[in-house]
Amino acid sequence: MAVMKKSYLFGGEKRWRNLAPIYFLLPGVLFYFIIALGPSIATSIYSLTDASGLRGADVNWIGFDNYDEFLFQGLASRDNIDATLRTLRFCAIVTLVQFSIGLILALLVNQKLRGRTFFRTLFFMPVILGVVIQGLMWKLFLQPRGGPMATIFGWFGAQSEFLGGQPDEAFMWVIVVQIWANVGITMVIFLAGMQTISSDLYEAAKIDGASGWQLFRDVTWPQLTPAVNTNFLLNIIGSLQAWQLFLVLTGYKAGTQVLGYLVFAEGFGQTGEAPSFRQGFAAAASMVLFFLVLVIGFFANRFVTWRERKFL
Amino acid sequence: MSVRERFGRSNPSLDMKLDEGTSMTTRSRQIRVVSYLLLGLVAVFYIWPLFMLVNTSMKTLPEYLKDPSGLAESITFENFVEAWQLANFPQYLWNSVLYTSVATAIFVASTLFVAFPIARGYFRGSNALLTLYVVALFLPPALIPQFQLILNLGLYNSRIGFISLFLINPIGMIIMVNYIKSIPKELDESAAVDGSGYLRFVFSIVFPLIRPAVATVTVLHAIGIWNELVLPTIYLSSSEKFPITRGLIVFEGVYGSNWPGIASAVLMLMLPMLVLFLLLQREIISGLTAGSIKG
Amino acid sequence: MKGKLGPFWVLAVVLALVLAACGGDDDGGDDSGDNGTTETTEAASGGDDGGEDGGEAGEEVSLRVLVHQNPPLTDYMTDFNAQFEADNPGVTIDMEIVAPGGDYATAVNARLAAADVDVIDYCIDPCAGFSTPVEDYMGDNVEAPAWQQLIQAGLVMDITDEPFVQNFDEASIQDAATFEDSVYAINMGRVSYSGMFVNNDLLAEVGVDLPTTWDELVAACDTINATGNFCMTQGGADGWPIFVGAYGLLGAAFPDQAALAEGLWTGDIKWNEGEGLALMEKFQIYAQDMLEPGVTGLGHNEATARYAAGDVAFLPTGVWQAPVLEESEPGFDWTYVPFPGSDNAEDNQYLFGKYDMSWMIASDTPHPDIAKAYLAGLADPDNYQTFVDATGYLPTQPTATLNSKLGEAVAPLLENYRVGFEQYYISPTGAGQWANGSQAASWFDPFNEWTDAGELADQVQADLEAGLGG
Repeated sequence: MAVMKKSYLFGGEKRWRNLAPIYFLLPGVLFYFIIALGPSIATSIYSLTDASGLRGADVNWIGFDNYDEFLFQGLASRDNIDATLRTLRFCAIVTLVQFSIGLILALLVNQKLRGRTFFRTLFFMPVILGVVIQGLMWKLFLQPRGGPMATIFGWFGAQSEFLGGQPDEAFMWVIVVQIWANVGITMVIFLAGMQTISSDLYEAAKIDGASGWQLFRDVTWPQLTPAVNTNFLLNIIGSLQAWQLFLVLTGYKAGTQVLGYLVFAEGFGQTGEAPSFRQGFAAAASMVLFFLVLVIGFFANRFVTWRERKFL
Repeated sequence: MSVRERFGRSNPSLDMKLDEGTSMTTRSRQIRVVSYLLLGLVAVFYIWPLFMLVNTSMKTLPEYLKDPSGLAESITFENFVEAWQLANFPQYLWNSVLYTSVATAIFVASTLFVAFPIARGYFRGSNALLTLYVVALFLPPALIPQFQLILNLGLYNSRIGFISLFLINPIGMIIMVNYIKSIPKELDESAAVDGSGYLRFVFSIVFPLIRPAVATVTVLHAIGIWNELVLPTIYLSSSEKFPITRGLIVFEGVYGSNWPGIASAVLMLMLPMLVLFLLLQREIISGLTAGSIKG
Repeated sequence: MKGKLGPFWVLAVVLALVLAACGGDDDGGDDSGDNGTTETTEAASGGDDGGEDGGEAGEEVSLRVLVHQNPPLTDYMTDFNAQFEADNPGVTIDMEIVAPGGDYATAVNARLAAADVDVIDYCIDPCAGFSTPVEDYMGDNVEAPAWQQLIQAGLVMDITDEPFVQNFDEASIQDAATFEDSVYAINMGRVSYSGMFVNNDLLAEVGVDLPTTWDELVAACDTINATGNFCMTQGGADGWPIFVGAYGLLGAAFPDQAALAEGLWTGDIKWNEGEGLALMEKFQIYAQDMLEPGVTGLGHNEATARYAAGDVAFLPTGVWQAPVLEESEPGFDWTYVPFPGSDNAEDNQYLFGKYDMSWMIASDTPHPDIAKAYLAGLADPDNYQTFVDATGYLPTQPTATLNSKLGEAVAPLLENYRVGFEQYYISPTGAGQWANGSQAASWFDPFNEWTDAGELADQVQADLEAGLGG
């Protein structure tokens, strides 16, 4: 192989052609090392210091003290571990629900219905609007004093403070908005998958007497494997690192923090009440997030590979 | 199966004709009714917040405080005028467009030249490099060292510095590599025999063949930049450089109590985005999907 | 082909490591380099800058000012900047307005780190003068507050010898602007947050006298609620207004708030015993019974606008809301009184508060003379009087007077003014998120998960002790 490559594409008399691929490779790879990998490695180094991030401040090696504080010191560790568990919960719920609703919506708008283009466009719209507009729309919609959702709740005799009240409720509403905002992507990816399925397969199955649910189980679902896998991975990794909606919707409220937000708040003095700048500690927290994503991503990837082998 | 055959079908925009359904059975009629009911129910939660926004923007502040969800008593555009004067929204919009387009263009071009040799295995360690990109998929954004890096390069609060944060996207790289693998290698060889230069080969032969993947990567990446809120908070300090996300959240912070004002601002920013989206929606939606469902 | 990639990999890895190392190292080492550059530019641009005027006349200089958002303050600063630009030809003021709270801390941090600011309004959550630094009784188990970190990192200019500092009263210089015998800031005013606005007309309408004790307040609220009006409103959506509105209760329970902060650290005072526990119970009544329903959806300024509608009797919040209230054109007669938090009317005479915004100069500003002139302008007694009139702060200059409607209400109380807990207290490292009991009012349902004062008090104490570490 190597010989063939050399002789055909990159060989030849002209030296520049020989080198060309490397030169062209360089910008992309450099960006990667400078912007992504370098800082990531540096994060692990930072996490072993007491750096404040302020220019001119002393920086000392403190070994694993930041990790010790994050995981074990006092009751702050309870809050940190709660935030970690909450991150996992967020990921699990968002992935499952967004995946399911996205699939159902895709099945619905994949039918030959009048106005399906309208529905597709509508459900995809929030993606284009961006996180701030999504958040502001829902803050308005969830006004506890006479807002629309409060009115709907009123019909059923229920009442809620939505984003400003119980942390668990507020957390749930952030999940709702997160799904509302991103289910369009999931739907569209499923839709594309469905449209690659050959109609012959359906015809053949129908001749065999299959209908409705059986058609879905025997034809659609297995044929949809690539889209299923793409959505599964995108949802998991996306939701583990998604926290910007919390910033817009709840702020840094006790009982709703997730890890990504915690990193940002500690590093840039946003924890409220006499904040300090603690970038070393924040780096340690982001390493915890990293391991979490790595482990979950690893197993998700294994699962996806297994499914591919099973269905394709 | 050729590349075009394989992916031609995946484009939803090719399949937009409406079926009149002349021979409907009762059962399919039932399915149809249930489908519309479900879709309508979901659609309510997409249309109602929009309507709420429009309605609120027409109200005066006391009117809003008295009854947030009641219908506006009269149609007034005063809030729009006021919001327009208070913040520099055209500038924010322009900044967002600039950052998104420049960063995406550089990213796609540079990634193409990495993805191609990796997919072909044309250099030693290409697999290792691909693995590194897969690992990067899981890296949390290295906010803190990145911040120090940009500071030390003197790129804090500069457009170039901000754009440089968005030149990497591991998912994009992986999608492209996978896609390129489906292109027959014989193409390379015949191109080399023809004496085609590398640059010309990549742009005029490879690029057209992997257009669906490029479209997907472009859309995914552009959406990410367009939506980014945290990085502009950290890296941009002067308001004339804010993208709309940051500009809007600042506007909310400063005029946070005035929901009619905020609603008008949000609407003004939404309008051009929605128009653009409606014009480009086929490209965006098909672009998002064409490359991403490849096995 | 294969051989050529070896060096490339080495190069790439080395580059990445060097860059990463730069990122980590600069905190200590790069500082001088940075200063060097700025000094060079300064020398180049203002080589003949011997006198302040000489350089300014010919050069276009831009002074970068960072200020927190507050509508009356913004109006004042806009006028002041125009005047300053007129008086100093060639100088333009590049003022950035950032909302107080989290973003403000990020902006200060980032701009100082990038040497991208000359004059800073220190308003890092909370907006304040210098609170207590790390005290001896705290030991090592504490992080220094942001202002102390900034000074110790050498980012703030020492202005001890500037004459304009002496325009301010001794107490404000000492309490709000001095660290280890050097002055780093001028403090622009005190605020009081422990009182409440009173709607006199509504009280008259429902036949309730102005309450002067806790029991009277509870009874008054019952009467008011029974008439279909509301007792209190608050900016619950922003979180902090809820507990700041209850600082009057904290003050009534613990009149010496410096002693409270120290007592909590030493263990002499506990949140779940005696006064502490009684306070938690009052917090609960305030949060659950006194505030009107639905305040979780109101922002801070929005609540004041809502209050102006006239069907709410009290708005317990800081005096800084007086201009906002005036602007909302309330159709009723109002006043501002101490929150009647104690059963003993004598204890309800005090107004607690804090120092509010302070101006500091970045130590490596390329235009130190202009920056000092800017602060001198802000400290000028005439300007300062205008500032106080505009913002409603309680003045820190002895020559200034309070002329507003608020001033009339507050002036007789000023001899009973005390600095509040917020300015004295820092939570120990490792303390849980419920450790600062002064904020407990905002943790009751419907604002957070707690429904029982006793349970919350125990939790608060446990979270605090977890940090004190025994």
